[in-house]
Amino acid sequence: MSQYLRNIYDAVASALKGMGITAKHVVRKPVTLQYPDERWVLPSRFKGFIINDTNLCDGCLRCAKVCPVDCIYIETTGKGKDRFMHRYAVDYNKCIWCGLCTEECPTFACQHSLDYDHALYDRKRLVYEFVDPAHPVPCHKERRLQMGFFVEQVAAAPPDPDKIAKAPRRADLPEAAPGADGGKEDERGR
Amino acid sequence: MQVMTELFARIFGDGLSPVGLLVAGGLTMALVMSLVMALCAIVFTWAERKVAGFIQSRYGPMRVGRWHGVLQPVADMVKILGKEDIIPRDADKRLFQLAPFVIFVGSLMAWAAIPFAPGFIAADLDLGLFYIFAVSSAASIGILMAGWASNNKWSLYGAVRGVAQGVSYEIPLALACIPVVMITGSLNMNDIVIAQQGGIWRWHFLHDPFLFVSFLLYFVASIAEVNRGPFDLPETESELVAGYHTEYTGMRFAFFFLAEYANLFLVSCIATAVFLGGWQPVFGPVFLPGLVFVTKAVLLVLLQMWLRWTLPRLRVDQLMHVCWKVMVPLALVCVLGAGIWMLATGQAG
Repeated sequence: MSQYLRNIYDAVASALKGMGITAKHVVRKPVTLQYPDERWVLPSRFKGFIINDTNLCDGCLRCAKVCPVDCIYIETTGKGKDRFMHRYAVDYNKCIWCGLCTEECPTFACQHSLDYDHALYDRKRLVYEFVDPAHPVPCHKERRLQMGFFVEQVAAAPPDPDKIAKAPRRADLPEAAPGADGGKEDERGR
Repeated sequence: MQVMTELFARIFGDGLSPVGLLVAGGLTMALVMSLVMALCAIVFTWAERKVAGFIQSRYGPMRVGRWHGVLQPVADMVKILGKEDIIPRDADKRLFQLAPFVIFVGSLMAWAAIPFAPGFIAADLDLGLFYIFAVSSAASIGILMAGWASNNKWSLYGAVRGVAQGVSYEIPLALACIPVVMITGSLNMNDIVIAQQGGIWRWHFLHDPFLFVSFLLYFVASIAEVNRGPFDLPETESELVAGYHTEYTGMRFAFFFLAEYANLFLVSCIATAVFLGGWQPVFGPVFLPGLVFVTKAVLLVLLQMWLRWTLPRLRVDQLMHVCWKVMVPLALVCVLGAGIWMLATGQAG
């Protein structure tokens, strides 16, 4: 009988204790971050989308060669002083965020950005173009200096990760070439 | 209904016969009560999500409507109205279609005897309290119909649990109200509220220690009666998907939801009327009786939500143990104790 009454007492007391704990949670500030309106402060070395600063890039192809999944597409024409880069595209469908391209890049043009939320309806739109074909990027040092682009010596130190710009939105850029990802069109739609 | 019939009498004068007045008043009252139920569902779904959110250090809905997602239930309703009404191939179609409305009507009928304010009661029955317990048990039939007609093991298990729980917990629920009936000497809800006139110390839950325990028993039993946490065994997500409404979609599912929140408010209204002084304010003269009544009931609903999001769910055997081995004996002790108290203090007539 005493055990019976003690059980009843315990049930009521523990329920009240639990309610006290939940009441404390009600009055304290919620931990939720209102995501689209508020964002986490990302660590400076956060591995976001790969971006390429065409002011620094001289089209040396090292990033494309080191990429284990071949997600960087670079197209150049000409030789020597007349060598121009017409296309620098990153296919985020393939990218595995390994960061090897950023380590290989001699001019620190290829970097991780702090950008991470690029949900899209069409996977083809995940191929981001960084060079406007109308304004090809010069690759030779002299031509670069002549046209006001940075050369290797100027960007001898890695840029401050906090100051790396966001990856450009696809809408700001020219449409990706059809079949740019090298695969067939997805028959199932999106 | 008194209010409504008087209103109609004033509008139509002698144009309506007494029977016509009765019918018109009754229909209006039924409409008002249905609207109250719908409003309950709208307000309490939002409130429940906010309470759950804050208890878990979240915000709950924030985006629909300008302030704290106040229009979330409206968005939900629009969404649920657009849903397909799916009836499983092997379901018993008639019963399947009927079940949500049986539950809803069972709940709606009980609203008839709730005294929101002096005179504002749909049916001022002499057996009001008895009537409420009688018709609210009709929901058990609806639950069993839904579970059986779905032709689905989860639905059936949920329904069997729901009915077993409903039938069991009705006993401590009704027993807990008996001391109050003994004191007031009436089952009329109006009389019960009027007997608690004169400030908080006259309210029944503070009448004597046995009534206080009765109030707690009523409160716990009422949570079990409306199948909510920590007694939400009929719809345990982890084992029964959603219990007896697993197979329901669209509007029919919405009716289950509507009935759940309406029942939640209903048991709180009964507790308010029977134990917490109904429309009587904490002190002073009667002031805005309807608002006082609804405020008390809403506070009780919030208390139930608080409990739901605090306590873990019970096991089936624990549920039955609590009912039959703890609450029923305690309720009987309270009936006996309240009787002895009345004799000892000379209140027995």
